[in-house]
Amino acid sequence: MKNILLVDDEDSIHLLYREEFEEEGYKVHSAFSAEEALDKLETLAVDLVILDINMPGMNGLDALRKIKEINPALPVILSSAYQEFKQDLSSWASDEYVVKSANLDELKGAVKRHIS
Amino acid sequence: MPELRKDPILGRWIIISKERGKRPTDFIIEKDESKGGFCPLCSGNEKTTPSEVLSYAPPQHVSNTPGWNLRVVPNKYPALVIEGDLDKEGEGLYDKMNGIGAHEVIVETPNHDETFTYLPKERMKLVFTAFRDRLIDLAHDARFKYVMIFKNHGKAAGASLEHSHSQLVALPILPRMITSELEGCLAYYKYKERCIFCDIIHQERNQRSRVVCENDHYVAFVPFAPRSPFEMWVLPKHHSSSYVSLDYYLFDELTELFAECMRRLDKCIPGVPYNFVLHTAPLRSHPLEHFHWHFEIMPKLTSIAGFEWGSGFYINPIPPEEAAEFLREVQL
Repeated sequence: MKNILLVDDEDSIHLLYREEFEEEGYKVHSAFSAEEALDKLETLAVDLVILDINMPGMNGLDALRKIKEINPALPVILSSAYQEFKQDLSSWASDEYVVKSANLDELKGAVKRHIS
Repeated sequence: MPELRKDPILGRWIIISKERGKRPTDFIIEKDESKGGFCPLCSGNEKTTPSEVLSYAPPQHVSNTPGWNLRVVPNKYPALVIEGDLDKEGEGLYDKMNGIGAHEVIVETPNHDETFTYLPKERMKLVFTAFRDRLIDLAHDARFKYVMIFKNHGKAAGASLEHSHSQLVALPILPRMITSELEGCLAYYKYKERCIFCDIIHQERNQRSRVVCENDHYVAFVPFAPRSPFEMWVLPKHHSSSYVSLDYYLFDELTELFAECMRRLDKCIPGVPYNFVLHTAPLRSHPLEHFHWHFEIMPKLTSIAGFEWGSGFYINPIPPEEAAEFLREVQL
């Protein structure tokens, strides 16, 4: 079973994504901040990270930089409600950028591309 | 008493608030903290960027591998996309079209710690050459009307990565700023049958008070009505409307003068964030008698707030003559 680490400060996103991705056969681990995600990555073997950008504390783009520093091969999908972060070249370190939507087809497709 | 000055090309008003009497050392520059860590533009990380559309590298260099001197890559998450048709349509009185365009990043150096201002001259020359080569290439695409080439340096000026880079956006329409500039130039040309920029160059070189530096083919001065303190324009002395027509032998002199401007600015206000923008004729236009290509360098020292948004006026706390004097007299 492939492991996904979901990093987002919103409970509802965790509920929705967990249900949808576990149905697809993935194991979903939760982190509610970038700091928590970086701690978890030290002890947890994950195959892919779904990372929100706007979070209290460290933002997703800074977390992305740190994750890639620790493990450049770990796929990271940026998932943000904000299209404009695409303009930020720091988002280039990610493997995909998906704009948040209630329809998870695009995100599911991106996950499949990297860890199926 | 403050002075109102009108830009002769755009008709834009500027308030020079003389009594504030600022000196370069009065500006507090927040130092950008180096974040370190992974950088997608660094040599060795070529696989994390889209495939390059141009690179300057030694012969036998393999594309998208280390060893390059400069590379141009499409923006990984572009503002506009290159595939598709324009499909213009109206919706009542509103117009819209597909977001067709090109958005590219010019990675100016493989070295993370080099800044544009202090690039070795040979490397800086490659940047100016790349601007021209991309303009020539993108002009083949009939969907594009204009290529905006610009650089943001420093967080306050909109740069999100420390690694030295500039950007270009190829647009299916002429940006408002360029249209206004072309219209202003044409109005002057119809009246006097001369290029307004050529006349400005002539007057500035005679008057000298706003000239920062010059060489045989280029001149740099602080404009009469600058939007920001220490704003500088760099222009060819001989009339030319398009950067595309720039002869290769003139790149050395352009680099020399541009580097001098940037270094003078950095000596006056160390670490200053800035933007520069190339203003050139629309793609595929015939040589224009009324327009003159040039670079505008704008240090980011003041913020645009309610008054500026509402009135379109800019407030500049340093008279351009004083700014030019500071820039001229600083020891390099």
